[in-house]
Amino acid sequence: MHLLTHIRKELLLLSRDRAGLLVLFVMPVLLVLVLTLVQDNVFRATGETATRALFINLDEGSQGEDLKQGLQSTGVLDLVEDFSGDMIEQEVARQLIFRGDYQFAIIVPADFSTVVAAAAEAAARSALRGDEVGFDPGVLTIYFDPAVRGVYRTAVSSSVQRGLLGVAMASRSEALMRLLSRDLQDNIDEQLKPYGATGMVNVELPELAEDWMTPPLIELAEESAAPRKFPTMPTSVQQNVPAWTLFGMFFIVIPLAGTMIRERQDSTLTRLLTMPVSIAGLLGGKVVAYLLICLLQFMLMLLVGRVFLPLLGTPQLDMGTSPAALVLIAVTSALAACGYGMLVGVMARSFDQAAIFGSVSVVIAAALGGVMVPVYMMPQVMQSISIISPLGWGLEAFLDIFVRGGDLLSVLPQVLTLSGFFLLCMLIAALVFRRWRQGA
Amino acid sequence: MIATQSDPVIRVAGLTKTYPGSRHPAVDRLNLEVTGGLIFGLLGPNGAGKTTTISIVCTLLRPDTGRVEVLGQEVLSKAGMIRRSIGLVPQEIALYPTLTIRENLCYFARVLGVEKKRLSARVGACLDLTGLADLADRRVDRCSGGMKRRANLAVGILHEPQILLLDEPTVGIDAQSRNLILEQLRELNRQGMTLLYTTHYMREAEDLCDEIAVIDSGRVVVQGAPRQLIGANPACENLEDLFLALTGKALRE
Repeated sequence: MHLLTHIRKELLLLSRDRAGLLVLFVMPVLLVLVLTLVQDNVFRATGETATRALFINLDEGSQGEDLKQGLQSTGVLDLVEDFSGDMIEQEVARQLIFRGDYQFAIIVPADFSTVVAAAAEAAARSALRGDEVGFDPGVLTIYFDPAVRGVYRTAVSSSVQRGLLGVAMASRSEALMRLLSRDLQDNIDEQLKPYGATGMVNVELPELAEDWMTPPLIELAEESAAPRKFPTMPTSVQQNVPAWTLFGMFFIVIPLAGTMIRERQDSTLTRLLTMPVSIAGLLGGKVVAYLLICLLQFMLMLLVGRVFLPLLGTPQLDMGTSPAALVLIAVTSALAACGYGMLVGVMARSFDQAAIFGSVSVVIAAALGGVMVPVYMMPQVMQSISIISPLGWGLEAFLDIFVRGGDLLSVLPQVLTLSGFFLLCMLIAALVFRRWRQGA
Repeated sequence: MIATQSDPVIRVAGLTKTYPGSRHPAVDRLNLEVTGGLIFGLLGPNGAGKTTTISIVCTLLRPDTGRVEVLGQEVLSKAGMIRRSIGLVPQEIALYPTLTIRENLCYFARVLGVEKKRLSARVGACLDLTGLADLADRRVDRCSGGMKRRANLAVGILHEPQILLLDEPTVGIDAQSRNLILEQLRELNRQGMTLLYTTHYMREAEDLCDEIAVIDSGRVVVQGAPRQLIGANPACENLEDLFLALTGKALRE
């Protein structure tokens, strides 16, 4: 069958194809590095670590400081009060936001404590005595970078609202205690007055602990709506390394299909078809050669995830606990990529056609399969469509190993689907070759 | 399957082939016999059916009707057997351009089943025969047109086929390279190889061929030894005159 002869020739051809090697090795490495780092920052900005925000405290009282303590204690916001060693003024803060240096600035006005105290007093008086005492609520301003996404903005607003609620509650309870104590004393004095007991009874209310409002009465539990499918969300490294590795693997379509089309165009295939070679040998040689390339790509990407990305500050790639399953997924994904390359190679009529169709179809399959945006973040309709993407099958299996502690059994459905896809592509390619061989 | 000088090694009877979408057959009830040990020239204007005939003989194309035998084996049913006995030198440079000449030859030799212990010697012999021994490690895409043509020929003879099919093997090269290739073809023929080749160069065919067939519109117009055919037409001084007399001066495809 001359399989080794064909494999050797394919590898030799590839070694002379610098552009092809660039596509196969440099492109996925760059994609993994750049996109992981970019998305890692997004992950950090959306909850993995505290968001940095400017905090301009102009308050002349103590409530501004209380608000600051409250916001910092949540761990959601990392408040910055000075810039290059100087206190930040309101206008400077606005410019820093506008320039994009920061995404948020919280401005506490000078009369914040006064306004809060007055409002709390009025509210308590209204509660105890039924007085309709009006007051003007104070205004605390947050400057947002206009480019910040709505969800992110809502999250920060919500944190500040919680901080304000804490300050308001503390002020209200203090005012309530003060007024309640005074009103009770007045009430007792008035009732005992006919009996000549004025000033004889001293009313003392029990003092409340300062943090009596702090412990939540009801805790909020966040839970995934699809715990079976996404019990744990991947990190940017766990998501991006397998995703872009698969993308790189499937880009083997271009050099593989290109080789096949060049063989047709320069008549080497014609020559081969007049020689005593088997179709299985011809196709098998290509598949094995490119399979080796894909597996090399895979190992390089794992190296990037394990060694290079952590050097740039990302978490290290956790590869799960089933190396056998990992190898099996890598091999079947690579086979699926090679099979698709063979299919495009026999169907396309020119190199341009193969390059354009091959790359566009891989990008579409990557988008559908969750390479660019994770499947769980897609609309429901797109999540349903994503099941047709071989890259999606591979990615799902890799995430199962990396994130959910999957094993051979749990990735078996994806392994079988990828193998089926490979066999189907090869069957079609072999039929087309057979037609050519028979002079049709 | 050892063919003697008098045995026809290629027999074509009633061969017809029409390409999909074409109204006229490329080959139309063509009959031809090529005797073993000869250099047989298949001549004709563009579109006459030369390449189609060679493609069917070398098992690349299926005929619509008719029967083609190579070394007594029918091309449709015994294609595998025929492929071991023929060599093809196609019109295009059918080599991997980014591989060296030697790498190309080694690959095709292995595909052709040349034994491992003989492989190096066979590749060396073919390189020597085609005058490429000193250039064997040059990449094909960095070779001149003449070198590529010679390398193209070298691949066709790696497995020492009984029949060598050549489709315009000297097209587009300088006089020196053409002369060298023609010398090599004569040498191969002296070694007992039957050659069936097509060309547009009438002078070349007149000098080289033991026998020719002029075909036009898919049919054989005349067949015989060049000198005899020229002699039978007193108005023609050479093969080119005869060719124009037989096929006309009107432009073709």
